[in-house]
This record gives sequence, C-alpha cells and structure tokens, in this order.
Amino acid sequence: MNINLNQRVSDNSILFLSLFIIILILSPILTIFFENINQKSDYLNFFSSGEFRSYTMNSVVILIGVLLLTLFLGGVSAYLVSFYEFVGVNFFKYSLLMSFAIPPYIYAYTLSAFFENFGIAYSLVSFFSEDLSKTLIPKIEPLSGSIISLSLTLFGYVFILTRSTFLNQSRDLIEVGKSLGFNNIDTFLKIIIPTARPAIFIGLSLVAMETLSDFGTVSFFGVSTYTTGIYNSWFIFDDLKTANFLSLFLIFFILFFFGLESISRKNIKFFNSNNSFNKKNKKVILSGYKGFFAFFFCFFLFSTSFLFPLVLMVKWSFMNSSYLDLNQILQLNYNSIKLIFLSSIFIILTSLIVTFSGRVLKSKILSFFSSLSISGYAMPGIVVSVSIISLFSLIDSFLDMNLRGYFIGSIYGLIFGYSVRFYSISFNTIKTVYLKINKSIDESALLLGFNKLSILKNVHYPLLKKNLIFAFILISIEVIKELPITLILRPFNFETFSTSAFNLASNDLVEAAAIPSLFIVLWSSLLIFLSIKFFLIDKK
Amino acid sequence: MRVTFLFFLSLIFVSSSYSNELNLFTSRHYPSDLILFKKFEEKTGIKVNVINAKSKVLEKRLLDEGSKSKGDVLFLADAGALYSAEEKGLFAKYNESRSLKLVPASLKNDYWVGVTKRARIIFYNPNLVNYNEIKNISYEDLSSKKWRKSIAIRQSNNIYNQSLVASILEHKGEDFTREWLKKLVKNFSRKPQGNDRAQILSVAAGESKLAIANTYYYALMLSGKKGDDQKKAAQKVEPIFPNQNDRGAHINISGAGILSYSPNKKNAQEFLEFLLTKEAQTNLCNSSFEFPIIQNVSTNKLINNIKNFKEDIYIDVSTYGKRQAQAFKLMKKAGWN
Repeated sequence: MNINLNQRVSDNSILFLSLFIIILILSPILTIFFENINQKSDYLNFFSSGEFRSYTMNSVVILIGVLLLTLFLGGVSAYLVSFYEFVGVNFFKYSLLMSFAIPPYIYAYTLSAFFENFGIAYSLVSFFSEDLSKTLIPKIEPLSGSIISLSLTLFGYVFILTRSTFLNQSRDLIEVGKSLGFNNIDTFLKIIIPTARPAIFIGLSLVAMETLSDFGTVSFFGVSTYTTGIYNSWFIFDDLKTANFLSLFLIFFILFFFGLESISRKNIKFFNSNNSFNKKNKKVILSGYKGFFAFFFCFFLFSTSFLFPLVLMVKWSFMNSSYLDLNQILQLNYNSIKLIFLSSIFIILTSLIVTFSGRVLKSKILSFFSSLSISGYAMPGIVVSVSIISLFSLIDSFLDMNLRGYFIGSIYGLIFGYSVRFYSISFNTIKTVYLKINKSIDESALLLGFNKLSILKNVHYPLLKKNLIFAFILISIEVIKELPITLILRPFNFETFSTSAFNLASNDLVEAAAIPSLFIVLWSSLLIFLSIKFFLIDKK
Repeated sequence: MRVTFLFFLSLIFVSSSYSNELNLFTSRHYPSDLILFKKFEEKTGIKVNVINAKSKVLEKRLLDEGSKSKGDVLFLADAGALYSAEEKGLFAKYNESRSLKLVPASLKNDYWVGVTKRARIIFYNPNLVNYNEIKNISYEDLSSKKWRKSIAIRQSNNIYNQSLVASILEHKGEDFTREWLKKLVKNFSRKPQGNDRAQILSVAAGESKLAIANTYYYALMLSGKKGDDQKKAAQKVEPIFPNQNDRGAHINISGAGILSYSPNKKNAQEFLEFLLTKEAQTNLCNSSFEFPIIQNVSTNKLINNIKNFKEDIYIDVSTYGKRQAQAFKLMKKAGWN
C-alpha cells in the first residue's frame, strides 16, 4: 500500500512538472491567441486590404520558389550520391551538409555584395573588360535574391532526409522491380520516388517552415512578407493588433506544414522498421560525360552554397580586421558558448522530463499536450520575441510583479525564447530513440524492482546518451545562428555573432559583418562536422 | 531533480550591478562611436553600457520596461524616430546648459537634441544628365515626366524616405503629395532595393540617371573605405542640392535625449553635453561623414566639400515624426514597395 502511495505521489509530481514545462513552452503561442481574442479586430477588412495581399503574394512566391529549388537541388544531389559512383561522391555526400552552417541572411549579404553594381563580380569581370561586366553580371532582385539565399542554405533538409531514405530503401524492393522487368526510369518513378516521398515531404515541410519564419533575409532585401509585415506593423505603425493578427495567421500557415511533416513522419515508420536497414544498394558507376555531369552538379552546389560565402567572408575578414579587436572576438565567443550551454542544458533537461513521463505515465492529457508543445518550432523568432514581451507584461499586470525585469533584456529571457523555438529539436531527437526502445524493457525493469526514476537513470539514460549529445549539437547550431530573439531580448552590452553581424550589415557595413559571420560559419561547421562524424556516417 | 532545482536557483540569483554608469540605448552602430564613448569614460569615470538595435526595437523595449528601465540615454538616427519616442513619453526634459545651447532651435526641442545632421539629396550621372538641366531641381520636380524610369531610390520602409515624404506633406499638403508620389513611382528606374549606396552605384553604372541618398554615403564611398571600385564609382556621380532657390535641401538629424526613468540623470546630462563638444563632434562626423550640428567644428575634406548649401530650416524636424505613418501609408498606396 505504502509503496503504491509513494509511487502515485511521484507519478503525480512528474506529471505536473511535465505539464508545467509544456505550458511554459506553449505560453508564448497562447499569448498570441489570447491577445487576438482579447481585441476586436476588423479581420475582414484587413484580409481584403492591399497590404495583406502583398504580404501574402510575396510570402507565397518566395515559398513556392524555395520549395521548387530546394526539391530540385536537394533531391537531385541526394539521388546522385546515393545511387551512383563518381569522382568525389564520398566527399559530397557529407560536404553538401555544410550548407547548414550558413544562415540565410548571411548568404544574402554575400550574394548582394557580390553582384551589386561595382561589387566583387564587377571587379573580377572588369579586370578583363569593363563592357563585359555590364552584360555578364546578373542583377539580383529582392525576390530572386531571397529565393536564392534561402534555397541554397536550406536545401540540406531535403538532401539529408531524402538521402537517408535512399540509403535505407529496401534493396529487395528494387530487386523485385528489376525482376519484374523495370528499367532504371521505371525503378526511379515507381519504386524510389514513392518510397522516398514521406521523407521528401518532411524535408520540404521543414524548408517551408524555415522560409515562412525567415526574417533576416527578407528584411535585408526589403521584401514585404508576413514576417516583415509583423515587424512593420509592430514597429512602424505601433499596431500591435495587426502584428498579433499576422502572427496568428502566420502560425496557422506554418502549422499546416507542421501537420504535413508529422503525418509524413508517421508514414515513414514502416519502411524504417524492416530488416534491410544496413544493406547497401549496389551503386552504378558513372563515367564519361555522365560522371562529369554528376560531379559538376555536386561541385557547383557545394561551391555556391558553402565555398562562395565562406571565401568572401574570409576575404572581407582580412580586409576589415580592424573593425573588431581580439578582445571583442573573444567576448563574442564567450557569449555564444555561454548561451549554447545554458540553453541546451535547459532544453534537453526539460524535453527529457517530458518524453520520459510521456513514456512511463501513459497519460492521455500529457501525450496530447506534448504533441502540441513541439509547435513552438513553427513560431518565427520575431513572433516569439513579441509574444514573450506581451506575456510578461500580462503576468506582471495581473500579479503586480516584476518578471519582466528578470526576463526581458536578460540571459534568462533568451534561454526562454530559445526553449520555445528549439524545444522540439531535442524532444524529437529523444523521442525517436524512445520509439525504438521496446517498452517490454521498462516492464521487465519494473518487475525487477526498479522505480521509475531509476529506470531513467539505469536503463534509458545509457540508451539515450548518444542522442542527447546529438540534440545538444543540433540545438547549438540553431542557437549560434539565431537572430530575431537574440536581437530583441538580449541584455545590455551583450552581442552575439548573429546580432553583431546583423547590426553591422544593416548599418551598411556588410564587409565588417564578415568577421562575426565567419565565426558563425566556423562554429557551425565544426558542430556539423562532429555530428557527421559521430552520428550520420553510414553504418557499415 | 536536484540538479534542475539548483539550475533554476542559479538562474534566479545571478545578477550584476555597477555604481557610476550610463546605460545608452543607441540605433547608431559605428565602431568609432564606441571609441568616443571610451573617451567619455576616461574623462568622467562614468562607464558607458551600450545596447544597440534598430530605433523602434529600442523604443518598444523601453516602453515595456516602463519605470523599471535602466536606460539613461536614447540616441537615434532620424528625427522621426526621436519624435515617436517623445510622443510615448520616453524622454525627460534636459537642461539646456553649456554646449547644448549651441544647437539651432529647429534641430532640437525640450526633450531631445540633434547631435549630427545629414541631408537627403540627389546624385546624378554627368554622362547622362547635363548640369544645366538639373541645377535648379527641386524634390517636387522629381515627379516630372522628364525623369520617366530614371530615378533610383530605396524602399518605402526606409525611415529616411518616410521623413523626406513627411516633409513634402508638411510643405505641400496631402493632395499634392498623393499625386506627386503616384508620378514619382512611375519614374523609378527599377524596383526599389538596396541601401543608399546601392542607389548611387546604380547611377554610376548608368542604370539610373538620378539617385536619392543621404550625403554621408557619398562621402563614405569617396573615402575609399568601401574599396577602390566604389570610390571610382562615386567619382562618376555628382551631388546636387535640391530646392536651393526656395526652402533648401531636406535635413535630418541623429539626436539624443535623457530617458524619463533614467536612474543616472546627472550622468545622462553630462553625456549629452559631451556629445556636443567640438572634440566629440569632430570624432562623430569624421567617421560617419555626417555634418556637425554646431558651428566651427573642423571636419575632414570630404565633408567640407559638400557642406555649403541652403538647408530647409523652415520645417521643425520633429514634424517628420508627426507625419511619418501618414507618409508611409501614402507611399504604399502609390505602389512604392
């Protein structure tokens, strides 16, 4: 009896702690809903307004452009490196992931500085002939510039997910197809594509979410989209109502892709579970012009997505080294590392608690709320910041407290903001492992007299450890690149690489922004390299 | 569990404080500003803490912090931004003592004071436009059919453009401005994009005949700080100051004021006075290529070359703020993206 009672008390405390964490993560989203209900807005009028139409038009054009381009770039490159053998294939299958190290807004800076009138392209071409430079150098328009910058930095999502299903694709299926007399095109259209479809959808959904929440790129190019619309209505017109409404609308828009992603993930389960996981498909050797084409495609993609911005940033960093002294650079490193550690520890701990209790408690309420909690990822950073400020203002006015003083303009506010955004990364990473651990292990451990916490410590933790580190790396990459939350919620005298790059670039010092940008790229590259080396390398 | 608890505890109790300090909210981001603030520190022993963001972000944050704000001075580029902060009650009155008296009346009010100034003027390509055609040009003339598809200017969300249009609104009224904007948009040589430098570069490249940009961008390019190609490009264009036969060219300021909840008001006052000393003015202007706001400040040659023109002093710069939102709406309606 006594043991049962203790058990129930501890069950309840885990449940309440988990629910508390989930509410914390969801609170900014709830604030947006609350603010919208609370205000009588003239929605119909706004919907039909020219401004709303232009936000929608631009957002949709950019979205479609980016989706098509990432599908093409990510899909073709994944197909090439998974099924064919050509010069450099082993290099490309990992190096194409390096594009994750470049934040879209930094890509935008380099792209525009390269192609602008009298920019670097001009210097290069006019060295041969000034006339040539007029005809040869393309003009980067705001819309096309945004689409290119976003696509070349986001195609990695499609690439990595598609490639992993290509790798895991059942060889038996392809063999069966061959025995039915399928040629290569049939195999591709009837077997490879249909089985890879869920993965492609996940990749594209992630791309869509990132594209719709992007603020840095579209604001640099000055395109009116939902995010810049939120920014404008909030900042220029002091119109919190419209900002909140647009935020809500954008969240629904993104949640659509989020739902698509979740559904696709469910579909993906059944071919992951079969046994041909580790079998490698025999690769077709490409030679001659086909081999050259495959090489050229991958090389072009690698150079434009990674080498191009990297080389330019290195060049500018050396040319403008006087903008930041060593002390400042050390300080920026220290700040970023501090943020990474504090926020990752917090995010991993909280998501571990929630996933663990979801597993051992079998509570329907909890599983419902925890599936909602990952929607924080769908909230653009700019919306997170706006809503966190509104949230603390609300709480303070109800309770006559000064939580704002603690959270706005402090590290804690930043950690909170990051947690809302990046909680789902850690949650999903941990949950994936949990799905693979058979529940009968828990039952056996319970029978052996373990209590629930010791199951976590002695049974789950050793199995989870590797993925906790993986989650840490993934969160770190996001935190180091994150811009809007950091920009708005950070404390006095507190710069990170991203804020310092953004501020310099928006004050017409794009070249000086190269130094902090370069550090973002170097740190993320290192982290991506580590994750490739330890987590993604093909299982032999 | 214990670990989590300790972690929370450590979060709550870590805080820091200084005694003799000044918390500066600024939308300016020139590395040389920081060097100037260091000089202030050396002189007075007051530590300057800087938070840097776009003006409206700072404004929101100060509003949200309310009476708990630790901010002492707000330093913003554009009079419209200063007015917007003033409207929301963010500023306390400052004492018009010492160097602060030297600032002309149209460039300050009870709550904030201009620190540097700039003009938003026209740049033309002498290969495409004859000097005689353009020497008497006014902002109003920019809507003329003569300039069809030949003007480069940045987007409507840019605050300098909003202030320029606000000044037209103030001088000419809404009906005139609406029509003027409609025709002006037809005269754009391309979809508005890029910063002010990009407009000047577009003229240098022959893509546009005229560009509208702030004076300091031109001087910056001529200085060679943006590379040799940009220096050469800037040498291909000429500045022209509009409305020299009537009200004068559009002037805007960077300015600062003491925040109403400032915990260190005395330091803040001292900081404002410091910004208007000749030493600080020379420093501020020589690096940003803006114009000094007080007389007899020595500046470098690039600034001196473009310093003598008739300024629009008939308009109080705070008007820009009053009319900015209206201006932005009209600009959007006219199809200025």
